[in-house]
Amino acid sequence: MYEYTEKIREIATRLLQDKMVDGVIGFRKGTIPMVNNPVLIKHSEQVSQLYWDSWCGVNLANYLPKFQGKVAVVAKGCDSRSIVVLMMENQISRDQLYIIGVPCKGMLDRRKIWDAVGDRGRDVTDVQERDGVLVVAGRGFSLELERDKYLQDNCAICTHRNPVLYDELVGEMVPEQQVDRYEDIRAIESLPSEKRWEYFQRLVESCIRCYACRNACPFCYCPQCFVDESKPQWVGKTIDPTDTMTFHLLRAFHLAGRCTDCGSCERACPMGIKVRMFTKKLEKDVKELYGYEAGVQLGERPPLDTYRPDDPQEFIK
Amino acid sequence: MSWLRLTKEGLTEWLRKFEKTYRLYGPVWTGSYHEFKLLQDPEEIDWDYRNTRLSPKSLFLPPAEKMFIYSLDPNDPERAILKEASKDFDPRIIVGIRPCDAYALKLVDKNFITPQYQDPWWLNRRENTIFVGYGCTEPCSTCFCSSVGSGPFDTKGLDVLVVNVDGGFAISFVSERGKELLRKEPLGARALSESEERSLQDKMAEARAAMPKLWDEKAVANRPLLDIFNAPFWEEVQFSCINCGTCTFLCPTCWCFDIQDEVWKERGCRVRLWDSCMFPLFTLHASGHNPRSQKLQRVRQRFMHKLKYYVDKYGDGVACVGCGRCVQFCPVNIDIREVMRLMVSHCQCAL
Amino acid sequence: MTDWEPKIIALLCNWCSYGAADLAGVSRLKQPSNIRIVRVPCSGRVNPKFILASLRKGADGVWVSGCHPGDCHYIEGNYYARRKFVLLKKFLEYVGIEPERLHFSWISSAEATKFAKVAEEVVEAVKKVGPARYLVKREVEVE
Repeated sequence: MYEYTEKIREIATRLLQDKMVDGVIGFRKGTIPMVNNPVLIKHSEQVSQLYWDSWCGVNLANYLPKFQGKVAVVAKGCDSRSIVVLMMENQISRDQLYIIGVPCKGMLDRRKIWDAVGDRGRDVTDVQERDGVLVVAGRGFSLELERDKYLQDNCAICTHRNPVLYDELVGEMVPEQQVDRYEDIRAIESLPSEKRWEYFQRLVESCIRCYACRNACPFCYCPQCFVDESKPQWVGKTIDPTDTMTFHLLRAFHLAGRCTDCGSCERACPMGIKVRMFTKKLEKDVKELYGYEAGVQLGERPPLDTYRPDDPQEFIK
Repeated sequence: MSWLRLTKEGLTEWLRKFEKTYRLYGPVWTGSYHEFKLLQDPEEIDWDYRNTRLSPKSLFLPPAEKMFIYSLDPNDPERAILKEASKDFDPRIIVGIRPCDAYALKLVDKNFITPQYQDPWWLNRRENTIFVGYGCTEPCSTCFCSSVGSGPFDTKGLDVLVVNVDGGFAISFVSERGKELLRKEPLGARALSESEERSLQDKMAEARAAMPKLWDEKAVANRPLLDIFNAPFWEEVQFSCINCGTCTFLCPTCWCFDIQDEVWKERGCRVRLWDSCMFPLFTLHASGHNPRSQKLQRVRQRFMHKLKYYVDKYGDGVACVGCGRCVQFCPVNIDIREVMRLMVSHCQCAL
Repeated sequence: MTDWEPKIIALLCNWCSYGAADLAGVSRLKQPSNIRIVRVPCSGRVNPKFILASLRKGADGVWVSGCHPGDCHYIEGNYYARRKFVLLKKFLEYVGIEPERLHFSWISSAEATKFAKVAEEVVEAVKKVGPARYLVKREVEVE
């Protein structure tokens, strides 16, 4: 994916020199391995900072709501779907955007690399990627790992790797995979209800209520989040288990039909909590009940903003 | 500093002797990260650990704790009177704490233990805790403690210092409280031989030298505050920040808290919980005015507080200990070392 | 345990279901007394926050009822509500809340007998699963 870097720089230079945009939102190489830093480039002389590799997992659409002026943004498949949903929700308008589409083969998960390296005492200082092989090195060790085994969870089951909306592509479209996205959800659904509750309690028990998941999500842009509402207070602010569970349940529900499974929430969580176990269930239900996938079809109304007279209602008396 | 030599079993055995009189805490692997946990036995300590995910400040300023309790029962003669919630301030020994984290607690002391006011919860916990620190013979690539007033073997916050050597540990009792421990329970250890001492000193020098020198203390301290405040580089630094709060929650020197009342039926309690200057609500006034409503203001505030305001206020160095947690876990890789570089270069430019 | 009577929070839309409850009362129909009614202008007003808040406050069951689809006083409020409820019910069940705790119905203002019958069904269902166990916020659990 290194060829993308050159193409992104070339496009950015052109856009900035021709004054087609006020800025380009992309990534620059991180100061530590396995993470990159989103950047807003405003001058064509700074374009050489732009960079692309398998660690560009953060959803850049997060920086778009209420952006003033014309902006170009580098968008993978999931990011482009997020942009479509943001447009439908009037957070950004199409004519403000120049979408630089990136067909994506999946981003990598550094927690999986840490596990492979045996993170208890080992510090990864360098990661190189060549032809599907990762060379992970640190003080006194060097490992070769197969790239495809270390994809982020959401990337491993991604069915929209190509941008759905774009002004220019940086490379050839990649083949989409046929995968069962909801295997783990069905596994939970088959458990009895106490076991399910136990599973979810354990899932969020290390939550410190830092709200990194909420802030990394492009759709959590409410001027006042329900967590901060005090009249009435819907959820307490401490790490009390009931409050923590309420936060995650309600946040996931607010994303029903909007979440594009970009994985930024899981990526941002400092404690490594798999919060997508909540949002994927809603994604599955929305797909099965209403045949809707977030952000795939420009112009399609979000599922909770519309209805059909014959909507399913099996358990309604 | 005088050193004694002992094996891992020797150290574990010695710590075991304190189980009856102290609560022991040490770094334990939870399955995905290390955490300071109450130990059943000192052999649970993972001596191969780098650092814990959450800093040990959570043992002194917990993520949420009850301060007061009160009754709202109309028949209770003591209703609506705040009573201190009962706490356990029994003596503790925290084993395996890194010098940076221990020094961080001294920095936070400036906030909670002042001439005018002493926070009883913080103070009691601090007074009843002894630190057996663990020196860093292999600092991480994200560490920079020696640039900010600490070091991989810094003893400022510690009572005892333990360092990895071939075949075991070297141990030094650095404070009165540390020496007190030795008096209470003798240690089955011998003095280091000359060559062992030299080898230890070499190792320590090597670790110290491995860390980058990032900070020009004088240049930033001498620069007028408003000059750095209005510098143009903040615009660039703040763009990628998502105001998520991860840095503040993982940071060993962040101390900001919120106070909430939680009531259930006729029982209420006043709870202190972690807050973050990254949250937009942090500076929201009751009038609706918010002096730091913009992301740039909040991002700038965090770095200025750590690297300039604290310096100006206390004249004792920066409020950062170089533990590197924010560097590792910021989801968008905002690197405090990079911000420091920008600040220093801005300050040096004008000279 | 046999003395325990469940507390059910019923969110009833003003124009249809609340009218039905009123008619059931006026007609002296036999119905359980466990229902605590909250009147809302339309079932579409019901925000998932309300259902979670009811569970947090200790409601053993939550019942939301509105006009029949097509007959909403505000034309389409109940259509939006239907989508919300279906997703919320499936989601809460997935997380482990017993399915017998959440109920939804369409009851028009003339259907007093249906109201009484559904009330009976709801109470019976909740009795089977016992007092609320999950998501009840009692004293804050911090050190």
